[in-house]
Amino acid sequence: MELHILEHRLRVASIAKESIQLFTYGLIKLAFLSSKTRCKFFSLTETPEDYTIIVDEEGFLELPSSEHLSVADATWLALNVVSGGGGFSSSQPIGVTKIAKSVIAPLADQNISVFMLSTYQTDFILVRERDLPFVMHTLAAEFTILRVVNGETVAADDFGVTNGFVKPKLVNVRTFLVPLAVSALKPLFCALLATVNVVLFCFFRVKDSVVGNEDSGHIRFFSFSLIEGYISLVMDVQTQQRFPNNLLFTSASGELWKMVRIGGQPLGFDECGIVAQISEPLAAADIPAYYISTFKFDHALVPEENINGVVNALQVSQAEKH
Amino acid sequence: MSGSKPDILWAPHHVDRFVVCDSELSLYHIDSAVSSELKAGSLRLSEETTATLLSINSDTPYMKCVAWYPKYDPECLLAVGQANGRVVLTSLGQDHNSKCKDLIGKEFVPKHARQCNTLAWNPLDSNWLAAGLDKHRADFSVLIWDISSKYAPETAVATEKVRLSAGDVEAGLVVTKPLYELGQNDACLSLCWLPRDQKLLLAGMHRNLAIFDLRNTSQKIFVNTKAVQGVTVDPYFHDRVASFYEGQVAIWDLRKFEKPVLTLTEQPKPLTKVAWCPTRTGLLATLTRDSNIIRLYDMQHTPTPIGDETEPTIIERSVQPCENYIASFAWHPTSQNRMVVVTPNRTMSDFTVFERISLAWSPVTSLMWACGRHLYECTEEGKASSLEKDIATKMRLRALSRYGLDTEQVWRNHLLAGNEDPQLKSLWYTLHLLMKQYTEDMDQKLTGNKGPLVYTGIKSIVKSSLGTTENLRHSRSGSDRQADIIQYLSEERSLALQLCGWIKKGTDLDVEPFLNSLEQEGDWERAAAVALFNLDIRRAIQILNKGASSGKGDLNLNVVAMALSGYTDEKNSLWREMCSTLRLQLNNPYLCAMFAFLTSESGSYDGVLYENNVAVRDRVAFACKFLNDAQLNRFIEKLTNEMKEAGNLEGILLTGLTKDGVDLMESYVDRTGDVQTASYCMLQGSPSDVLKDERVQYWIENYRNLLDAWRFWHKRAEFDIHRSKLDPSSKPLAQVFVSCNFCGKSISYSCSAIPHQGRGFSQYGVSGSPTKSKVTSCPGCRKPLPRCALCLINMGTPVSSCPGGSKSDEKVDLSKDKKLAQFNNWFTWCHNCRHGGHAGHMLSWFRDHTECPVSACSCKCMQLDTTGNLVPAETVQA
Repeated sequence: MELHILEHRLRVASIAKESIQLFTYGLIKLAFLSSKTRCKFFSLTETPEDYTIIVDEEGFLELPSSEHLSVADATWLALNVVSGGGGFSSSQPIGVTKIAKSVIAPLADQNISVFMLSTYQTDFILVRERDLPFVMHTLAAEFTILRVVNGETVAADDFGVTNGFVKPKLVNVRTFLVPLAVSALKPLFCALLATVNVVLFCFFRVKDSVVGNEDSGHIRFFSFSLIEGYISLVMDVQTQQRFPNNLLFTSASGELWKMVRIGGQPLGFDECGIVAQISEPLAAADIPAYYISTFKFDHALVPEENINGVVNALQVSQAEKH
Repeated sequence: MSGSKPDILWAPHHVDRFVVCDSELSLYHIDSAVSSELKAGSLRLSEETTATLLSINSDTPYMKCVAWYPKYDPECLLAVGQANGRVVLTSLGQDHNSKCKDLIGKEFVPKHARQCNTLAWNPLDSNWLAAGLDKHRADFSVLIWDISSKYAPETAVATEKVRLSAGDVEAGLVVTKPLYELGQNDACLSLCWLPRDQKLLLAGMHRNLAIFDLRNTSQKIFVNTKAVQGVTVDPYFHDRVASFYEGQVAIWDLRKFEKPVLTLTEQPKPLTKVAWCPTRTGLLATLTRDSNIIRLYDMQHTPTPIGDETEPTIIERSVQPCENYIASFAWHPTSQNRMVVVTPNRTMSDFTVFERISLAWSPVTSLMWACGRHLYECTEEGKASSLEKDIATKMRLRALSRYGLDTEQVWRNHLLAGNEDPQLKSLWYTLHLLMKQYTEDMDQKLTGNKGPLVYTGIKSIVKSSLGTTENLRHSRSGSDRQADIIQYLSEERSLALQLCGWIKKGTDLDVEPFLNSLEQEGDWERAAAVALFNLDIRRAIQILNKGASSGKGDLNLNVVAMALSGYTDEKNSLWREMCSTLRLQLNNPYLCAMFAFLTSESGSYDGVLYENNVAVRDRVAFACKFLNDAQLNRFIEKLTNEMKEAGNLEGILLTGLTKDGVDLMESYVDRTGDVQTASYCMLQGSPSDVLKDERVQYWIENYRNLLDAWRFWHKRAEFDIHRSKLDPSSKPLAQVFVSCNFCGKSISYSCSAIPHQGRGFSQYGVSGSPTKSKVTSCPGCRKPLPRCALCLINMGTPVSSCPGGSKSDEKVDLSKDKKLAQFNNWFTWCHNCRHGGHAGHMLSWFRDHTECPVSACSCKCMQLDTTGNLVPAETVQA
């Protein structure tokens, strides 16, 4: 297995719901005019609370500084697990489940905070730049660690593994499980590869729907990411219907996913082990899951037919902890 | 392949068909345009070809890539990769045979939809189709489909029913289970099968190039690189692969896969297609976006295997098949260097890349040139005389006849040269006289300033006589009536006359020996003229009579003699009048000059001096006799310049072997290309410093190269010996030494300095007197020299004629000990395996063997020696 440390240096920010219009220009430029910026990593996730933005430093310059923009203080690096070579059994667990044991649990054990972003194409594990030596030290046993420099992968230098990193403080985490109403959300992973104009059109249609459905009690969730040229969308089925046919790529089996929201109050960035707490029971139960972190809360996505098993597994694990 | 950018593909087997694909597939048939008029519905592709649209297939929307079924049959089966990752088999053929029908419409569907980037049919098993797809978090990006596989319901996942219509499933048209899945959680941008093995697949993945081996799918060979687009294997060299990234093409050697063996010059715009020419080795065509040229890289001369450190040479050129931007191109599969190009607005052009022409002159008179697969040899046809006139032919023959090498009788060299060129004759006589004069002066230890003067030619001799010793005197010798002719005389003038060959040294102006030699040669007119110029009319008449009566003589000479005898010095006589007008009708320049002399006023002899057909030496001698200092100087100066300008070798008499002489020779070489004569001539001037002139060195080096090119190595060696005799400074210092294995000192001391030892050391070994240094041992440390690999005798011993021969043979050889310095006894060894021995033994061994004589050494020594198998041209001709 290979662990690629991507070259993007990322910022995580949150935009308050009501002040989104202040950022329209920058966001549209980042999302649809990527050739006009040097941004290569952009993700926008809408939740009922806020808009979470993950963007590289080049893209961050496009956003105006404002009191309505809260920015996490650290610079983050994206890690990507690649099954270099690898077998071809299709029964292999997918998504976060696959990397739960090998990446997430060891990092949680070392009290390293991670920030997850799953897309149609792959999973990104975001860690603080200052934690990197520690991450590399932790994962070196399991992975061939490669660093992407100028688009080429090179063996990562073993830089000061034992010195100079700040040991993260240990926080006792309380997790809140908020299983969502079944009718509320059927997120669907889609990849979208079409011309920019089409994306633009769809995006605004989605926005319309958000406003229109505000009263219906649905929890809004929409995630758009444009990372190294690949577009990935996560949205509910209702929203998907607003897209023309044949525009979105989905898996051939057309499966639907349910979302589990984690955290009753904002989780912050220093707490660690949250992802591990969710993903480990799921991995143990062999349930595939995807995971999207936002500024305030985390979201796990599990197959629709497995939702009961998920709730059970998490409750059991919660009970064991107490 | 969106609507704006069409691609183009040749049918792999039906060489007159191609497909243009953008939003639909259009099949064209290509015809040769016999008439200038276009048939209805056909498009002109080039001056000779037109294309007719046969059919259009628009069944498959969202096309991303197309690949043509590689087998001959079914005819027009194409695989189309779509934007959603599905691969569809479709056809353009009109006749649907049964085999084709099964396949057409078949779909291969990946588990997760994403764009299909590339398709590649396996060249060996045409049922295998590899598809490269974009990245998906939980799926593979390289899928290998078996097009003959049937849809098997039990392997299909139940959920697939959601998206597959029941009709398709029942018809067995949809396949969802690939034969192989590779590259999990990665993107595949380009693919090609490696011809080395059916199960090797090269893929350009997201950040690396990977070779998948289907025999063991858990492993792959990969190299991290950005250049992952458009991987393609050189059809003539299966280990060579090209791929590109933006504007840069990387060439890889699969045997040394860590880094590209070379990268081609980066283009300012991103590349769109890179393709090896299928009909010619090592020719790579590349196309960039928004460009109307196709760039070609000729790696023809790249040594294969590509060297480790040496950058291979690549010839880059570009072709412009049409005015517009090119959207795509395709090499014709069989027709040499031919391609079609298509522009964004779907105009097409049929185009043949013209091959570079390479040309080579042979060292003899033929010319070779190569273009494509044709090799042409040109030799001059018809008249052999024009060939014989060629200076190269002449030089070859002259080299064979040892021209230039006669240093005793220098004048004889013109005979060796074929005795046909008067200029050469004059040159060698001049050199002969110069040499003779010089050596005689040296012998008699004459005044030091004269020796060099001889070499500087008459021009400087005459100059040195200016105003010094000048004797004027009236001469009435010979004819009674020769009263008013003034002759001039001085030491320098007589030296000049000697150089002209008129008089001999010390013989006090006696031209009689010279006249006799001319008479012997049958050169009557010249003899008569010389006699007359020495004011001896009787002798002149006598010579002419003799000439008329001799066997081949011209009877007219009697008439001339008659006219001559009527000479009168009366200014206004009828004789004088008639002679001065009629003389111009005489064919012979000497006869003409004679009458000019007799009819001219004293002191103005232009009729003689500017009679260009009279030999320069005679005109100069005449001038020395009859012109005063000022006139003489002016005349010599003028004549020298004329000679220099014309490159006339007779002028060497005037210039000598000085810088002026080199100037003269330069224009001679410019005119004729005869570096041979130039080299030999200038070597004669060895004491002077003309040899240091870089032009002279240049001629000499060129002549040596010429001899080498003709394979006249022995002649070249003879020339070098000749050269080092005349110009000791040219002798190269020893550059190669044979050093002792033990003490590292040169052993040449023993070979050269020790006199031949009249005993067979092979018999006595090294047990002789320890104080005596042996030929077979190092003079420095007295350790034995290496043994010959064949006779096993220490080097330095005389060679026996046949290794391991009988005792009697050896005895004979022992008596020939003096051969120690001969070539057969020389050391020789292979620079590769370092085995060797006596040159004679080695030569005879390699006459019958290719491998090294040392057992267990498989070095092919002789084949490594590129010149070892060549034979000198002289021996071939002999």
